[in-house]
Amino acid sequence: MSHLIQAEVPERLWLQAQNLVEQGWASNLQELVNESLRRYLESHQDVLAEQFIQEDVNWGLHGKD
Amino acid sequence: MARTDAALVVADAGPLIHLDELDALDVLSGYTEVRVPEAVWREVQQHRPGAFGQTGVQWVRVTVGVPSPRVQAVGGLFTLHRGEQEALTLCLQDGISLLLTDDTAARLAANSLKLTAHGTLGLLLRAGRTGARTPAQVLALLEEIPVRSTLHVRPSLLVQVIQQARAAWGLGDE
Repeated sequence: MSHLIQAEVPERLWLQAQNLVEQGWASNLQELVNESLRRYLESHQDVLAEQFIQEDVNWGLHGKD
Repeated sequence: MARTDAALVVADAGPLIHLDELDALDVLSGYTEVRVPEAVWREVQQHRPGAFGQTGVQWVRVTVGVPSPRVQAVGGLFTLHRGEQEALTLCLQDGISLLLTDDTAARLAANSLKLTAHGTLGLLLRAGRTGARTPAQVLALLEEIPVRSTLHVRPSLLVQVIQQARAAWGLGDE
């Protein structure tokens, strides 16, 4: 399953992204955006992990199931 | 459509390994069944050979087929391992809404598939809420996590969790 997203991108970022595709660093813009998102998510694992732990705490202490 | 009750759960390896390290797998005994996909079963057995000998927990070992296209898609996006993909597949296949996992990427993937995911800390605190363990026992287990388990939690965050639990249970500060 995949999702179609629409986002405004600053001109400079857009040009840099297109340039990377033209140079062959990514097959197309979709691949570049997916890879960028994946790397961003990986680099924010600690923040996410803490968020999930807090969700666990709320569920564990106050959940209904 | 995933079930909203938590009587049935699917487990990834992390919580099973971490709870076994803490001698606390019994906190899963309140679930009607704990379904474990084959790849997860083998991973847990490799690290904790005696884990599935825990009495009182209704283990169900399940052979999972090829991950669905949805799971393959999120699996690729979140670089999930085989066991995590099988666990997500099992949730969708059996209509089970709760996945037990400590892996951040697997939790993200679960969320994207409209599944709920909780991990070792949540299960321990839940045991205190449901009476499966006393609050004092749960607090002791939380304090022992850094020395008895391979679950990685930032020390200051673990202190916060313990403080929250003490406050919720009216135990005040130590």
